Amino acid sequence: MNCERIEELLSLYLEGALSPKEKNAVEKHLDSCSACAQLLDALRDTCRALASIPELEVSPGLLSRLAAIPKTKKKVRFSLDFLLRPSLQPAFALAAVGLTLLSFYLFHPDKKKIDRTIEQQFHLGLSWVEKIYVRAGAFSDRLSDQAGNLVVSVKNLKIFERNEDQAF
Amino acid sequence: MLVNAYSRRVFNLAYQFTGAFEEAEDLTQDIFLKLYNSLDKYDFQRNFGAWLLTLAKNHLIDHYRRTKWEKVSRDDFEEHLLASGPGFNPEAGLDAEVDRKLIWESLNGLPAEIRLAVILRDIQDKSYDEIARILELPIGTVKSRINRGRLQLAKILQERKETSHEL
Repeated sequence: MNCERIEELLSLYLEGALSPKEKNAVEKHLDSCSACAQLLDALRDTCRALASIPELEVSPGLLSRLAAIPKTKKKVRFSLDFLLRPSLQPAFALAAVGLTLLSFYLFHPDKKKIDRTIEQQFHLGLSWVEKIYVRAGAFSDRLSDQAGNLVVSVKNLKIFERNEDQAF
Repeated sequence: MLVNAYSRRVFNLAYQFTGAFEEAEDLTQDIFLKLYNSLDKYDFQRNFGAWLLTLAKNHLIDHYRRTKWEKVSRDDFEEHLLASGPGFNPEAGLDAEVDRKLIWESLNGLPAEIRLAVILRDIQDKSYDEIARILELPIGTVKSRINRGRLQLAKILQERKETSHEL
């Protein structure tokens, strides 16, 4: 076994959880490899140090905060719970941006000028849409004409007639 | 009743995981809030303690992912120990005390999942089966994570000892 494989087994070796065969292999390696033997010592010290970390007592302040949770929870449950869902975050962000823009518009000193510009832009947009609509209508007419022509041309082709002749 | 029975367990897990006393208190409160919200989802065939610790584990890992860039260092361990019970044990010797402090400070260097596994095994003395249930992982993965965590800590300890010998 190489050092890497021994490292994988050291914890279980320390806990006496290896099979006799694996245990012998580890011990054989440890006899000949001082680096792994030193690592095992350090591992033993680490486990000892971790085990010596005692539990702390819960402070009375935290205990009273915890005891108060069920009451607080009931109050919050019916009012705010649904608002705290993470899925609503984009909606809140959008609402915040919307409100900022609205306040900018409402409290701007040149509100009338903005109104006029909005109206102009609106009409411009409307006429632009109308133009597109008309062009689309014309385009669709041309397209149906072309389609009709294509059908007539295909019908006039003699491919099908020849096939029928061959069939007879 | 739930608070009396489980607050100590949850708080200690949070404190050992974060190494920050006040943060651990806040996290314990959050975990109990979650607990009260999720009680209706509790499966009565499952061990309640293990289920609660799984809930705590999920919350701690989420919290770690949100705040991992803000972490600096762990609390001075002794400060809270003195207020709470057996701190320095003269029989264990000064070296053991230095080791304990170094290991405590090095815990934040472990990845969150490995740190939790090491804490549950070596500080809280839980069996591999219990840890596998709490972490919702196969037992083989748990064993290998604990071994990796211990080795990482052991190497830190080893380096420190080599440096102090050189000095």
